[in-house]
This record gives sequence, structure tokens and C-alpha cells, in this order.
Amino acid sequence: MTERLRDIVRRISRPPSNSTRLINYYWQRTRRNKLAIFGLTFIIFLVLLAVVGPFFTLDPTLVDFENKNLPPVGFTIEQSVYNTETDDFITTKVSGTWNHPLGTDSKGRDMLAMLISGARVSMLVGLIATGIAIILGTIIGVLSAYLGGWVDNVLMRLTDIMMTFPFFILLVLIVFIFGPSLVIIVLAIGLTGWTGTARLLRSEALSLRTREFITAAKAMGASDNRVIFRHLIPNVISLIIVIATLAIPGVILAEAALSFIGLGDPTVPSWGIILEAGQNSLRTAWWVAVEPGIMIFLTVLAFNFLGDGLRDAFDPKSNI
Amino acid sequence: MGKSWLRGYITKRLIYAVIIAWGILTVTFILVRVGPTSPADRYLANIAAGGHDVTQAVAAIEARYGVDKPILVQYADYMGNLFQGNWGWSFSTSMPVTELIKTHWIYSFQLILLSSLFAAFLGILIGIYSAVKQYTKADYTFTFFSFVGISIPNFWLGIMLILIFSVKLGLFKTYYDTTLPLFSIDNLKALVLPVITLGTGMLAGYVRYTRSAMLDNLRKAFVTTARAKGLPERTVIGKHVFRNALLPLITIIMFDLGSIVFGGAYLTEIIFGIPGLGQVSFNAIFANDYPVVIAVTLIGTFIVLLVNLITDITYTYLDPRIRYD
Repeated sequence: MTERLRDIVRRISRPPSNSTRLINYYWQRTRRNKLAIFGLTFIIFLVLLAVVGPFFTLDPTLVDFENKNLPPVGFTIEQSVYNTETDDFITTKVSGTWNHPLGTDSKGRDMLAMLISGARVSMLVGLIATGIAIILGTIIGVLSAYLGGWVDNVLMRLTDIMMTFPFFILLVLIVFIFGPSLVIIVLAIGLTGWTGTARLLRSEALSLRTREFITAAKAMGASDNRVIFRHLIPNVISLIIVIATLAIPGVILAEAALSFIGLGDPTVPSWGIILEAGQNSLRTAWWVAVEPGIMIFLTVLAFNFLGDGLRDAFDPKSNI
Repeated sequence: MGKSWLRGYITKRLIYAVIIAWGILTVTFILVRVGPTSPADRYLANIAAGGHDVTQAVAAIEARYGVDKPILVQYADYMGNLFQGNWGWSFSTSMPVTELIKTHWIYSFQLILLSSLFAAFLGILIGIYSAVKQYTKADYTFTFFSFVGISIPNFWLGIMLILIFSVKLGLFKTYYDTTLPLFSIDNLKALVLPVITLGTGMLAGYVRYTRSAMLDNLRKAFVTTARAKGLPERTVIGKHVFRNALLPLITIIMFDLGSIVFGGAYLTEIIFGIPGLGQVSFNAIFANDYPVVIAVTLIGTFIVLLVNLITDITYTYLDPRIRYD
């Protein structure tokens, strides 16, 4: 991941400014990448689904044992059903119905409703945790480069220490210690995921610091605050956008993986939690494990496509 | 050329590694101390059920674990114990943590080693091919699939492989058979699905890295020179371009160890029931077995630290142009 990001730094040198013309220019370049547009479309669709979807679906927590383990529409499976009159099991064929287009789980909950409320969780976790990580990384990276000296030394050694921890195993430790709640998970990912951003922004800010326009701003008596917020940060915005887009899928995957090993918030039906339940009913209801996995996969793929497209669009040397 | 600066460099790196190790231990200590759980927690239910005085019992347990001492004394004890190889006692398995790790590490090691070999070998080959045939149909196809590979959640891929190859087709067992001898064909067969599960994400990453590292070098002047000398294309690609692309590749492969490989191995072991360190840590989480969870984190971190150190030092041998002074 970080290596990919480091690659971005090398390539991006032109900052997008507030000018609509430049934004338009980048949009034209991004548009040429079909995969990036596919990614963007899917992300917009997913956000809409997460925002308004839950108002149209059944209650995702509604348990209905009469209709448990129903396959998705178009699929028929054989199910052993206990018959109370004859006191034995009979095998019946069960087909999916339009009442539950994506089937139901072992408690009869509607899969479509669960997946849509899961989208809400994943998007929220992805955006908030990435936001925390990026803001923290930007502050640490820019401060480190701008102030230099012992501040730089201390901050960078801290970054080295955090980077040496295997990311997922550190997350497991933190969530294990502080307990599996959504707030803890988001904070854990946000507070450990900033290292790559800090390193990148430090190196980027170091090279910008010596440029003429920064010297000019200083010569005109601009305060440190003004130099950092009006001159340094706007020049690394394109880099930050790309890092954020490429970081979100990692966060979504991490949350799903934590849920999958039982360290998810049990009160919130995230995709990872549905998937974990599905693993135990692979033989009776394969779709419970398949569907949330497809959602995670497509979401991560969409963000990766978009991030890669944006990186190429911001890169003045790429001929697209 | 002289390597006299190398000794100084290695010493510097070693000191640096010790500082990082100290930082890691301190961060872990703070995490555990700041956390809301106490070692007494796991006994609370039993104590209450037995009709004993809970506060008294908690105080006794905390005294036994030294949690009631001043924080600095605790910190010194913690560091001292770790250095003496006293990593604590695993409640849930009733053995010393070091013993537990000694019996289980080999399972993680074999999984990671085989997956890395599989991913690096195939990934580098495909990456080179993709770079040499840039913008052809084959290149686009490989690029697309490498996106798919890095996006697919590896725990889900594992479940899908079990669903298709074990449940539907019955080709493999759903669970890893722990009774198999380590060095046997049956054991290799049992590792096929786990290796694909862990290796796919790594493979996709290596394809992308190799491709971009190769492309960076393909356009360099020395490549044109080599071609102009009339060298066969095979030699140009293999000896001139690939050798130069290899170095950045090694950094990435080593870096992946901490971020992708360990996390992936952790999940893969749980899905397939491989009794490696990931599985050990996973079971310990549910048993609330503190020392084990911490030990696995620390071991993973120290391996990353060690590998980084070795990579940096081997670098200087692999590429004599590198000088760190």
C-alpha cells in the first residue's frame, strides 16, 4: 500500500487549485478512464443505497423462523424440514421468492435489508476512519517537515514504531483490549492508519518548503499558520485525495476482517458480521456468505479503480 | 571497493532497531494498562458464582499479577520479564506462552513461506510479461485481474474456495488435518487452498509492483544502449532491466510482510483451522487470555523489525551503488 502511495508522490506534482478550469481539466482526464468511472458510479450508487435504502427495505433485524434459509430469487435448494404431524424430516424443494429477493439467513432475516444496512456501516466506518487517519497524517507530516529539528525526529521515530506493527494484528490487540464497539473500531483504525500519509506528506512538504512561492510568502511576513494552511496544504490536496481514495478500501476490509473474527460490534449488522454468520451455514445456505462478500469485494474494487484513475489524472506525466 | 563504512552503518541500524523495539514494547504496555480490562475479569463470574467476596478476590488476583504496584514498577517488571524470556502463563491452554508459541509457529511459517514463494514466483513472471507487452490485450487482462486480486477480501476468497472445492466438489477437506506429518505430500495437498487464499492478494500486488518497476527501467538509456550493442532481447530484459527492477521489488515484498502477509495469514489460519499463531491468538481472544494475544502481537512486530533490518543490510551487498553514510 505504502509503496503504491510513494509511487504517487513521485508522479503528482501539479496541484489542483480552486480554479474551476483546472478541476474541469482533471475531470476530463479522469473521465477517459472507464474503470474509474465505473468505480465512481458504483460508489455513488452505494452511498445512495446506504442513505435512502433502509427506508424502503424490510426491517433487517426482523426474525422470522417460518421463512429461514430461503435462497435468492431464481435458485432452488433442497431443505430438510421437520414435520410435526408425522414426526420426521422430509426433504422439500424451496425456491426463492420476490418477498426476499436475496434470500434469508438462518434466522429468517431478509438478506437485502441486512446488506443495505451493512452498506451504511461500511461506508461510515470507511469515511470516518479514513478521515481521522488522513487528517492526523497530514498534520504530523506537514508539521514534521515544516518545523524540522527535534520535532521532526520525535514524530518520525513515532511513525517508524507505528509502521513496524503489523497493521491487522495491532488492530486485533487494540479492539481486544478496549472491547468491540463501532466507536473503538473506527478510532483504532483511524489512530493507527496515519503513518503512510504522514511519511508521504512529510517528503512532499519537504520539497515544497524550499520552493520560491513559500520563500516569497515568508518574505512578505506570512505567519507559519498562514504558510501551512494557505500555501503548503492546498498544494498537496491532490495527493491527499488520492491517498484517501486508496485508503478507504483498506479500512472497509479491516472492519470486515475484524467482524469476521468476532471482534466486530455485535449490535451493528456490518457486512463482516453477516459473512461470519454465513461461514457456519455454508452447507445449508451458501448465499449468506456469498452475498456480503460480493458487496465488500465490489466496493473495494470500485475505490481501487477510482483511486488509480484519479492518480493517473493528477499525474501530469501520464498520457491519458 | 571498501566496505569500511558498512560496519558503522550496521551498528547504527542495530541501535536504531533496539530503539524501535523499546518503543513497540512501551506502546503495547501503555495499551494494556490504559485498557479497561483487568486480569481479574475472567475470574469474576466464577468468584461470584462460588459465593466469595468479589472485591477481596479481585484485590488478591491483582496483587498476584502485580497490577496494584505503581505504574513505573509495573513497567520495569514487564520489560524485565520479557527480556528474561518470561512471557507469562496462558490460562486457557495451561502452559507457558513461550511453550505454546514453540509448538505452533511452524504452522504459520509453512503457510507464509509457501504462499510467498507461490506469489513471488508467479507474480514476478506475470509482471515482467505484462511490462514487456505493455498495452496489449494480455497486459490489460493481467492488470484487470490484479485489481480483482488486491480487492478480493482474502477471508471471503477462502470461504468461496471451501464452498466450491470442498463442499460442492469434495476435492479437499474443509478443515486442515493437524495429524498429518509436516513434510508429506498429504500436508502439501491440505495447504493448497490456504496457500491460494493467502497468496492471491500478494500475487496481485507483486504483478503490479513488478510491472511498474520494469516499466520504470525499460525506458532508461542503458536499455537502449544494451539493445544498440545488439544484445538479444532476452538478455536485455533479464539481465539489464530486471536486475535493476529487483531492488525496489524486494523492499515492497519485505514491506508487505507486516501489512498484508501477517494479517492475511491470521485470517487464513482461522478459516482453514490451521493451528498457527493466528489461530492461537484467535482462540486466546475468546478465552480472554491476555498474555497470548500480546505475545503474538509482539512476535509479529519483532519479525517485521528483524526482516526490515536484514533487508537494509542485504541491500548494500545486492547493490554496491548504495551507500548509507
